[in-house]
Amino acid sequence: MTTLHLGVLLAIAWAVLTMTFLHLKAKSYGIRKLYSKPAGDPAKGVVYAFTLGMAPWAKESVMMNLPSYGAGLAFHAGVLTALGLLPVAAFRLELPSFVLFSVRLFTLAGVVGGFVLLMKRLVNPQLRGLSCPDDFVSNILGSTFALLAFAWTLSPVAEVPWMAEAMLLLIYAPLGKIRHCLFFFTTRYHLGAFFGRRGTFPPGGRFHA
Amino acid sequence: MPELDELETRLVGLTETDIQRGLEVFRSKLKAAEASYLNSCVHCGLCADSCHYHRMDSTLENIPAHKLELISSVFKRNFTAMGRIAPGLVGAKPFNREMAKAWVDAVFGRCSLCGRCSVNCTIGIALPRIFRAARAALGTMGLVPTDLQATVDNSLKHGNNMAVTKDDWVETVQWIEEELQTETGDPGAKIPLDKQGAKVLFTVNPREPKFFPLSLLASAKVFWAAREDWTLASDNGWDLTNYGLFNCNDEQAGAITQNLVDAMERLGCQTLVIGECGHGYGAARWEGPEWLRKSYPFEVKSILELMDEYLRAGRIRLDSSKNPIPVTLHDPCNLVRHGGICEAQRRVLRQAVDSFIEMTPNREHNFCCGGGGGQLAMARYKQRRIRSGGMKAKQIRESGAKIVVAPCHNCIDQLMELNKEYKLNVQIKTVAEMVADALVLDA
Amino acid sequence: MSHTVFHGHNVELNEEGFLTDPSVWNEELALVLAKAEEGLDQLTDDHWAVIRTIRAHYLETESAPMVRSICKTTGLPLKRIYELFPSGPAKGACKLAGLPKPDGCV
Ligand code: SF4
Ligand code: SF4
Repeated sequence: MTTLHLGVLLAIAWAVLTMTFLHLKAKSYGIRKLYSKPAGDPAKGVVYAFTLGMAPWAKESVMMNLPSYGAGLAFHAGVLTALGLLPVAAFRLELPSFVLFSVRLFTLAGVVGGFVLLMKRLVNPQLRGLSCPDDFVSNILGSTFALLAFAWTLSPVAEVPWMAEAMLLLIYAPLGKIRHCLFFFTTRYHLGAFFGRRGTFPPGGRFHA
Repeated sequence: MPELDELETRLVGLTETDIQRGLEVFRSKLKAAEASYLNSCVHCGLCADSCHYHRMDSTLENIPAHKLELISSVFKRNFTAMGRIAPGLVGAKPFNREMAKAWVDAVFGRCSLCGRCSVNCTIGIALPRIFRAARAALGTMGLVPTDLQATVDNSLKHGNNMAVTKDDWVETVQWIEEELQTETGDPGAKIPLDKQGAKVLFTVNPREPKFFPLSLLASAKVFWAAREDWTLASDNGWDLTNYGLFNCNDEQAGAITQNLVDAMERLGCQTLVIGECGHGYGAARWEGPEWLRKSYPFEVKSILELMDEYLRAGRIRLDSSKNPIPVTLHDPCNLVRHGGICEAQRRVLRQAVDSFIEMTPNREHNFCCGGGGGQLAMARYKQRRIRSGGMKAKQIRESGAKIVVAPCHNCIDQLMELNKEYKLNVQIKTVAEMVADALVLDA
Repeated sequence: MSHTVFHGHNVELNEEGFLTDPSVWNEELALVLAKAEEGLDQLTDDHWAVIRTIRAHYLETESAPMVRSICKTTGLPLKRIYELFPSGPAKGACKLAGLPKPDGCV
């Protein structure tokens, strides 16, 4: 544990605390009391929303945008792997070689995925129109974080910049769209409960005829 | 057009007080779910082509996330710390006249509240819930398109949305009853009005008595064949529509729902049956109790469920060979995706017609016809409505069917226009009409 | 807003093709509308019977008649009305009779 690691720890604490605050704030809007008679089970809808409802074939939007979907998956895998790598660095753990190999693969894929998404955002006029500075900042923070994690697996020289980057990322996370790491779950929960209650989720039928 | 129409005049006249009131109403419509939705969008843009508006006219304004962003930017600016501290960074924007105009264009002019983007959103944002809050805010500011509001006002004033008088309604019912007797050859065939204690109170869309009574005749014939104990209300409470679902004024919507509740009470019926109408079902079945803040002491069903029950119980029998022409089925958003009735109509149709072809995609993934969300009542957006309906026209054409069955009068009207504009050459019918034609009548 | 040309004059129609000012209506204009909006080259006696019935009802009550009363006054069976006006009584017949667009799901 160095001061740098301590800094990262503090950044983590900040991220967790602010996210908790955001969560509580959103919750403070209150739960809607519902009077209509449910047709289905909200809980089943929630389960569906987090399982088969997330399958690529359950969403036309994914099937029509497979490259973006792949890039998104890679990006998220890279950033999450890099996050998981933080304690490894802090506690100087040895990784078995096949794990190390996967870590390199995922972080590198994350960099590529992040870059592809960034390019898409820059090049596609509609997507550019949809974006605000936060979208670019968040992408760059995440991509750089994955990149430096990858670099760290090659050489400990990268440790200082990587940890610094980790702090930046964690401090920024609750401020911009990275807060979706929390709200993704609450939103999907509400979506599942809504459609579950109405009997639409889980679907009785199939996607296509 | 140098002249300003009514809506534009009202926009120009907006005061700071109006803006503040709009914001307050907007805020009052948000609960934890909406607060979560408004914090969630990652601007991935994957929802773009899930929307029929964008699919037929690929512009930024038609992307669901862009419509959402107009609203969440205001949310951020007014209700989040980051939006106040660093508005430029997170895309927070003030609510002012320009923004109100953009909201009107987005939530009234480019959205049928169909919810297809909800099931396709990467995150899972139920976008129409946010659009509804925005419509409610605009309503407070007097910015509901005039003709949409007029439809609501009709219901409030006359008890039905086409201002049909009681005499006209009753006379039409009696006329249809005569037709029913002719068609069934049973002089005892009745369309009961105000029958106390009937099991079922049936409701219709005013468009049926006013202009298209054949669907009422078909429903009546099915009830007759099933020997249902049913009735219609002669006074307020026969109209199932509720455009309060679209102007998103919950008080007005509740007052319209109250007509149905009162009729149920007055006549002492057990089940409120909603005729084939998507928004009417959504309003009566799902939103009504929320508007009124109380649970109903009775059941609400769609006539689709009832026909399904009749078939399962053997109360009616069908001969599908009486309907030999290939049929496809349109899934109204408020009945299927938002209403949860996906299979009943399919079970019924499979027994009622020889050849049933599914559209692709279908059920909760189906495309809106383009006429939902009150679009049919807003003349100013007609071009967009017809254009966005191109997606449905394409689905219909690709199905190869010659009859399109749509369990919704609102959709039927849009489909009739699509039929004309896109030269589809199909017939458009209700499920009850198909069932009535296929009925096997015991001697 | 759109327009239809009538006697060299621009007649204003709303987005749905209904007259913005119902009072400018006359029978010649009905013919122009029939062609422009319904694709009908000619109007038969039956068409005219329906249009005149609707028009008379409108002048009296400022609203469109029930299809019931159209059938009763003209003596035409219901199915014939739909044949005559493919867009239906509202978007077809009422439009040609110069009425504003009725409210509701039409
Ligand atoms: S609700 Fe339907 S019409 Fe509205 S933005 Fe979503 S997909 Fe488009
Ligand atoms: S799919 Fe969902 S998260 Fe992505 S841009 Fe659309 S609304 Fe936002």
